[in-house]
Amino acid sequence: MILTSSNTLESKEIIEYKGLVTGESLIGANIYKDLFSGVRDVVGGRTSAYEEELQKARDIALESMIEKAESLGANAIIGLKLSYDNLGGTMGNTILVTAYGTAVKCE
Amino acid sequence: MVLPSNVNSMKLETHKEKVKYVREAILCISIGTLAGLVVYQIFLYFKIAIFGWNLGLIFAPLVAGYLETILANKIIGEDIGAISAFILFAYTTFYSFILKNPTLGFNVITIGSIAVILQAAFPTLINYILFTVGLGIILYFLGIFKKITGFFYNKIKAFVYKFILKKPLEVPVEKDYEFNESWSNELINNQNFFFMTSTDTPDKRIINVGQFSSTIIIEKAIVQTPPDPIKFEKETLYNLKKGKDECLINIANDVKAAGGNGIIDLDIQYSLIGLGGDRYQVTSFGMGVYLT
Repeated sequence: MILTSSNTLESKEIIEYKGLVTGESLIGANIYKDLFSGVRDVVGGRTSAYEEELQKARDIALESMIEKAESLGANAIIGLKLSYDNLGGTMGNTILVTAYGTAVKCE
Repeated sequence: MVLPSNVNSMKLETHKEKVKYVREAILCISIGTLAGLVVYQIFLYFKIAIFGWNLGLIFAPLVAGYLETILANKIIGEDIGAISAFILFAYTTFYSFILKNPTLGFNVITIGSIAVILQAAFPTLINYILFTVGLGIILYFLGIFKKITGFFYNKIKAFVYKFILKKPLEVPVEKDYEFNESWSNELINNQNFFFMTSTDTPDKRIINVGQFSSTIIIEKAIVQTPPDPIKFEKETLYNLKKGKDECLINIANDVKAAGGNGIIDLDIQYSLIGLGGDRYQVTSFGMGVYLT
């Protein structure tokens, strides 16, 4: 599956537009992980626990989106958008990761 | 002269009766206050104290209020609200905490002392705050109150179903928050409508219809007691996905109504809104187009 945030595919022609595909995942509400991230922030260094969680969440969102594109018979996704939204308010422990784009069939 | 609040409840037929009532009330309050002051002085003189804290602070308002109430019941025929206890409270607080103890600090002993003095001066109010409001708040947050009421609710419900309704107890079915992704995908892409996140369609001619947007507000999932983060996340994600589908269908219908058959440069945004962040907002927007 080809993923691109651009409108076109380099050296490939788009044959058919298949539709919109989306993928979402939610992370957070894990107080223990949040606590350790806080400790890391205080003593210095990268908050790897959070980074790993974010990466995992992004992968889930992308996989879900790709699965949908495949089910539509597409082999590429153009105009890919990826966003991270804090839905936890001041506590900041709920992050929604969304991935969406236009599924297309290319040569 | 300010009359006690419960004066209004009495049937005062004449002005004379009113004056008589006020005089008698003042007499009861004065005697009560005097008795309280005497008690306070006795406690001060004999230094009856625990950890340097004079017990007269409790007993003086208590004696004042008690004596005033007894006198008022005998002379007037009703309670006038232990005003002398309040006067004693104000006096003893001023005398002991401000006049005689200018180095008074803000610590646990001071707070405790204030609480005890207030309790002596306003027993009903303070007892209500302590044992009804305070204890209620603590129990609520510990979940004990919910557990107790839940226990009795379930017992009563079981009893009603067994002996009155005479039918088996209904078992609540847990709502399934598994979102059907493939069904959602088909729903969105079977609208006879082009949803495009890109801005360019090489093989199609674009006629602009206009800018469109659609917004859906979603209630935040209720946090369970005790909290269940997994369930909360599942429910939240389910609601957001459902909201997104609804939002996309709405925008497609709006574009169709305006003569379009697609939307380009589509954007979907999620945000937390409402007082204290109690709602989610899902917004989709883009350029409505007619693709040929």
